[in-house]
Amino acid sequence: MKPFDIVIVGGGGSGLYAAMEAMKTNPNLNIAVLSKVYPNRSHTSAAQGGANAALANKAKDDTVEMHIFDTIKGSDYLADQDAVEVLCSEAPKIIRELDNMGTPWSRMDDKTIAQRPFGGAGRPRCCYCADKTGHTILQTLYEQCLRKGVFFFNEYFALDLSLDGSRSRGLIAMNMKTGKVEAFPAKTVIFATGGYAKMYWNRSSNAAGNTGDGQAIAYRAGIPLKDMEFVQFHPTGLRKSGLLVTEGARGEGGYLVNAEGERFMKRYAPEKMELGPRDLVSRSLETEILEGRGFDSPAGKYLHLDLRHLGADIIKSRLPQIREMCMYFEGVDPIEEPVPVRPTAHYSMGGIDTDNFGRTIMEGVYAAGECGCVSVHGANRLGGNSLLDILVFGRITGRAAAEEAGKFNPSAIPASEVTDKEQELRSFMQPRGHYERYGTLREDLGHTLGANVGIFREASKIKQGIADIESLQDRFQHVRVFDTGDIYNTNLLQVLELKNMLDLSETVAEGALSREESRGSHTRTDFPTRDDEKWHKHTIYTYEGGRPKLAYKPVTMGRYELQERTY
Amino acid sequence: MSDSTIQHHEESRDVTFRVHRFNPQVDSKPYFDDYTIKLEKGITVLRALGYIKEHVDSTLTFRAFCQAGICGSCAMRINNMSKLACTTQVWDELDKAREPGVIKIEPLRNLPHIKDLVVEMDPVVGKMKKYSNWVDSRMPEEEWGKKEFLVSEEEFQAYDKATDCILCASCVSECTILRAHKEYVSPVVLLRSFRMNADSRDGIHDQRLAGLVQDHGVWDCTHCYRCQETCVKNIPIMDAIHGIREDAIERRGTKDTSGARHAEAFMDDIEKKGRLVEATLPIRTNGIGWTLKNLLPMAFKMILKRRTPPPPPLVKASKGIQSLRKELKEMASHVAKDHEKKSGE
Ligand SMILES: Cc1cc2nc3c(=O)[nH]c(=O)nc-3n(C[C@H](O)[C@H](O)[C@H](O)COP(=O)(O)OP(=O)(O)OC[C@H]3O[C@@H](n4cnc5c(N)ncnc54)[C@H](O)[C@@H]3O)c2cc1C
Ligand code: SF4
Ligand code: SF4
Ligand code: FES
Repeated sequence: MKPFDIVIVGGGGSGLYAAMEAMKTNPNLNIAVLSKVYPNRSHTSAAQGGANAALANKAKDDTVEMHIFDTIKGSDYLADQDAVEVLCSEAPKIIRELDNMGTPWSRMDDKTIAQRPFGGAGRPRCCYCADKTGHTILQTLYEQCLRKGVFFFNEYFALDLSLDGSRSRGLIAMNMKTGKVEAFPAKTVIFATGGYAKMYWNRSSNAAGNTGDGQAIAYRAGIPLKDMEFVQFHPTGLRKSGLLVTEGARGEGGYLVNAEGERFMKRYAPEKMELGPRDLVSRSLETEILEGRGFDSPAGKYLHLDLRHLGADIIKSRLPQIREMCMYFEGVDPIEEPVPVRPTAHYSMGGIDTDNFGRTIMEGVYAAGECGCVSVHGANRLGGNSLLDILVFGRITGRAAAEEAGKFNPSAIPASEVTDKEQELRSFMQPRGHYERYGTLREDLGHTLGANVGIFREASKIKQGIADIESLQDRFQHVRVFDTGDIYNTNLLQVLELKNMLDLSETVAEGALSREESRGSHTRTDFPTRDDEKWHKHTIYTYEGGRPKLAYKPVTMGRYELQERTY
Repeated sequence: MSDSTIQHHEESRDVTFRVHRFNPQVDSKPYFDDYTIKLEKGITVLRALGYIKEHVDSTLTFRAFCQAGICGSCAMRINNMSKLACTTQVWDELDKAREPGVIKIEPLRNLPHIKDLVVEMDPVVGKMKKYSNWVDSRMPEEEWGKKEFLVSEEEFQAYDKATDCILCASCVSECTILRAHKEYVSPVVLLRSFRMNADSRDGIHDQRLAGLVQDHGVWDCTHCYRCQETCVKNIPIMDAIHGIREDAIERRGTKDTSGARHAEAFMDDIEKKGRLVEATLPIRTNGIGWTLKNLLPMAFKMILKRRTPPPPPLVKASKGIQSLRKELKEMASHVAKDHEKKSGE
């Protein structure tokens, strides 16, 4: 079988942009996009707010330079400044390009693309399409890929890189509809599999499949990961599902109230109250819960987001989506009852370590989007910068792979690799005396991560978290797949996703333990301040003997010196 | 009253999910499995199915991804209606259950079945391709990225609602024509075609339209309104279908189908004379069914747009006219309701 020039794993914004750009760069290439869900279902569709670009449509004095500064400051100075420069200077071009190919945007009076203010940005530069920006961008990219005839392998689940020593010769994946394991010999492979924040399970705003598959596959193949300890939390997730209640609810005047009926934000941000910055509000909610002022329920402790005083009219006219969310997912009408909320894991800053062209240290293997880590977000991502990241670096990576594919001449993937893998998967289905259910393990993992490697971290708790992860890994040995069929075996796939989350959770916890400072999203109660002298560096993880080995890498500076991050 | 009306006010209760099962590898035909679990109020159907999969029967198979009503994965038939499992509250479904305490779950219809609640989505994607459901930009690719198109907010509003579509295929599952004719373009593809044709950045409007008026295209729709009543995003799909038809007559005249030839005269008739004159009714050539389904709703809509109250249709009694009257009334009320909703916003 002739190898593909490029195999792209992931059909979200980054994967689709990479595919389009690769085809544009060289229309003669043989390109395949694999995705475990139909591309239009990828999690990019969940992004509501928008994508940042200094188009200066709204604020005429906005500049790329200001965008660069906001991003670097927002990252708590852990972003690589040359990468941020690429991100922000490509931004206006990529948004215009999206417009030129047919993405719907809300519009200003002068018919240009509308922009709104967003947290941490000095100017209103977030380009949006109502409250469905990610959705419309993803739909448009999918439509354009169909137009260009991109070859999709929908509902294929990537399992492993096929390795010839330390070189990649392609990908091993499973066709979900037939259960067959198939080889995809490839000159280049691009991972674009999205984030890993679902490892916090019921305390995550992410889709069920944001299990970090690409990161885990690359990691097990010896490719280093970077900055995994940085996970962003959003203050108001729904109690049962972790789904997001957007900032709009507090923007309109919603109160956060504890079990004692107190608007507790007065103790943390007396002036801004509920409208303080995201990380501060998240920490405040968490403190209330930890200090015993939360409500109790079988689904865990929580607080109230109370909108009732706004009245039915305002809730119906200004917050219809939020009301719908609360009714659909929590069964609560905010006109009549307060909404149960708690902070929720939202975004993974860490990922596969790449250079500014999406290249990893393994020749022919690339990564882009939330799955990669260039790094442009450092210790904390700004709202609206992630959609931008997946587009800009999706494109750059697609082009790099297209230009470089000709350099590689991979050896054939031996047939035994496919049959071995099939055997391995079958082994999960063997009856075992004592068995574990993946559902329980998954919930336990989310629970221990939330409690021990969540918003507040300290050595003793993180160690507890690591011990829990280890015991979960032992229990995983006994997981049984009850569905023994080949066709659409979601039981098996969810077990494989759990394995990926377990492997990655170790890197998150080990990174959190070693980083003895507080920076961006990483808050150590035992080391409450930023320590630039010791910790102004990236954490790098390599898989050795089944465990992460930590190393460090300097941050690329060049534009802005270290400053204290205050708002 | 049945006990379900009493019980559904409780905070927790036993609920039975009667789920369609079929694994082509082992089953010769589909069957139903009953799962009874204790649930708390406030739980969605998807979470309940998830609970069953994790703790009761791991072989139960369904799609789900975002759990937030945005990815379109989890559409299935719940109590005989296609909808998203992740945005449907169990307690609401208990109110609709035919058998107290039992919620029926089946796969979407009109798409090939894969296993349990999973159906094949490729036919929908295939039709998106067939009808060029993409913007084919007026700007050559080499020019992309240099400057924005100028688009008015009004134009954006014209297709804003249509771009809410999450390709869940609920409307496909409920479409009456698709039940009989799998080649039919389908409501979601009509909606998307309309959205593309309303976009001034697109350069293949006429070509797309030419495809839509062929066999299995826009003129085959029966105007049953099922798709619009089903749409999980409350998109007025019928507006798109009417829009394409009006556009087709405007740009292509009445040459496309024998029916379209009569359309103009027919609508003129209703509008100007305030009544249907049998002589100009295309009933004789096309039959009552065709006339009803293809022309009347459009005529009503055009009249409403021009703010003339819909006239009482005066048709001489003849064979089949009774049923025509009845259906006419029903459609008029649908159209009037749509109209009201819109002017009320
Ligand atoms: C609720 C929410 C709101 C957000 N709002 C914003 C916002 O307003 N602005 C902003 O900039 N960012 C926002 N973000 C973040 C942003 O949406 C994501 O970071 C971004 O969309 C990720 O895109 P991606 O292409 O990297 O991955 P994804 O869109 O997650 O796509 C991953 C793809 O990989 C595939 N895949 C994964 N594993 C496998 C496997 N094993 N085999 C085959 N395929 C696989 C999946 O099928 C999918 O197609 C938000 C995130 C959330 C959760
Ligand atoms: S109105 Fe037309 S498209 Fe919609 S369900 Fe009926 S026949 Fe199908
Ligand atoms: S039109 Fe509505 S029901 Fe049909 S696929 Fe789109 S969102 Fe689903
Ligand atoms: S799971 Fe995404 S729409 Fe229901």
